[in-house]
Amino acid sequence: MAITLSVVFSLSLLLAVLVLDQFFGWQAKDLINQRSDFFMDSMLAVREYTTKNVNPIVAPLNNGPGIFRPEAVPSYSANTVFDYLRAKPDYKQYSYREAALNPTNLKDKADTFETSIIESFRESPSTTSVSGEKMTPLGSFHYVARPIRIGKESCLACHSTPDRAPRSQLLAYGDSNGFGWKLNEVVGAQIVSVPQEALVQSKRQSLLATAMMLMVTFVVVGLVTNAVLDQLILRPMRRISSKAEEASVTPASVSFEEKVRSDEIGLLAQSFERMKQSLAISMQMLKDRQKP
Amino acid sequence: MGWFGLLGMVVLPMVMTAVAGCSAVPVARTPLCGPSGSLRVGVMDPVEGRGSSRGAGLSSEQRESLGKLLTVASGCQVELEPLDSPERARMKLAARKWDAAFLPPGLTAFALRAELGYTPLRPLGLRQSSLSAVLVGEGSRLRHLSDLNGAKVGLLPRGSLGGFYLPLYNMHGLSLGRVSFALDYASLLAMLKRGEVDAIAWDESMPDPGPAVRRLQVDGHAIPLGSLVLSSALAKADYLPFLKTLDDAAAQMPESIGYSASGLPQQQKLQPLKAIVDNVESWSMPLEGQPHRVYGRKITS
Repeated sequence: MAITLSVVFSLSLLLAVLVLDQFFGWQAKDLINQRSDFFMDSMLAVREYTTKNVNPIVAPLNNGPGIFRPEAVPSYSANTVFDYLRAKPDYKQYSYREAALNPTNLKDKADTFETSIIESFRESPSTTSVSGEKMTPLGSFHYVARPIRIGKESCLACHSTPDRAPRSQLLAYGDSNGFGWKLNEVVGAQIVSVPQEALVQSKRQSLLATAMMLMVTFVVVGLVTNAVLDQLILRPMRRISSKAEEASVTPASVSFEEKVRSDEIGLLAQSFERMKQSLAISMQMLKDRQKP
Repeated sequence: MGWFGLLGMVVLPMVMTAVAGCSAVPVARTPLCGPSGSLRVGVMDPVEGRGSSRGAGLSSEQRESLGKLLTVASGCQVELEPLDSPERARMKLAARKWDAAFLPPGLTAFALRAELGYTPLRPLGLRQSSLSAVLVGEGSRLRHLSDLNGAKVGLLPRGSLGGFYLPLYNMHGLSLGRVSFALDYASLLAMLKRGEVDAIAWDESMPDPGPAVRRLQVDGHAIPLGSLVLSSALAKADYLPFLKTLDDAAAQMPESIGYSASGLPQQQKLQPLKAIVDNVESWSMPLEGQPHRVYGRKITS
């Protein structure tokens, strides 16, 4: 019985772990998607702040004789803030890009994969977000992307034609890149990506902790069940069995004390008690007949 | 329940837990990453002022291919930053924002400054007979460098050896009427021909500028090749596997980078020029469209 119980417990645990594995997988992906959405919303807020509060102060300096100050650029602010965020261990695995088809700084130039995402946003303007997996030389990555749309006329000061752009910008980035943008056009995408390994790691940690808790619970429950069964059922049954054997030889000397119990063991003991008494009467009758 | 059953009850779930929890053990590797967790790589055209205007002289495909190669070599996510402006690249180096960089000679000399501590790994570029010069229009009244007092001068941005540091070094003590900058020598030449400036910095290895101009001065320092450099933090790590992968894949590198798998950086040739860069860096710096007195303590080598 003990083996049967342990097998039942183990199979239950295995089944639970398999179900939880699937569940934690969804949960980990959901958590990463939520975080990614939060990052992108935060970066949009940073962009907004830069456009409204920083750019009006810094941009005029870029028209002067000094060097170009990228602090006036929303994309620069968002990327810089994210770099600070990423310095925290919890976010180290995340990477954030503002990839564009025709960026001013070629660091932000979309690669083939990013280009396909941006093109899909341009072809389907109603799409607000896409997510999925991509393969890189470092392995598989989970990504979430949102379109970057030119919503303000002020953006076009630096991105329409070189003659409108500050001289310092042309000296910093040249006059070939980042021009020709149009209002309301999707020019790029915010892309947050996380290694699948991080997702698996997160899932594994949750699964291992839960599986350990389940195992401890199952073992404790098993041991307690075993002790209770032993005390309440197995030992009384062994005693009844032993007394029944003794009663088959000398029924008068045996008493089934368990008969006072009100449970099934008590019923069994009462039955054996009646059988013992019947056996004793039968044996007495047999003896009486044999007397001359 | 017997001991065997109890043992089964404890051990079986443990084994199953271990099986469930420990699948997909990650493969150990030693990636060469910067302090940010990724490898930030700056890419400049190793030939100063060549002026491709497409991001360090690389096409989109070449940039993507170089990024993948660096990712494989380092085992780390790569943030590739191609730049055309030596001034911006200089600022990135000064702020130690790059973990590795493909640099032209002027920026190599700047990166090797003691306080920045970059280490050169491999020479870059193909230009061997590069000399810095100052050009004026054929009919210009300017005959000597000292005639540049009050003249309008066109230079490459700060960070260029032949287009900025050497010409300024040679113009020490002069008061220039106005300094203008351009990202490449072709634009400077166009400015000179349009009469926007009186003199420009030039590189003698560029194609012949034609009969409309003449040389006011040619500097005697031979300009060495650029270098692939590594930050001091990464140079302390085991970067040899990274370098070996790059060496093995040298043929796949964009030709314009001029990566030499077997070459050693031209440190000896660079040393006197590094002293000039250090010296000029300590002077007051010209601003776009402004008059400028080339002023500072000059150390002659």
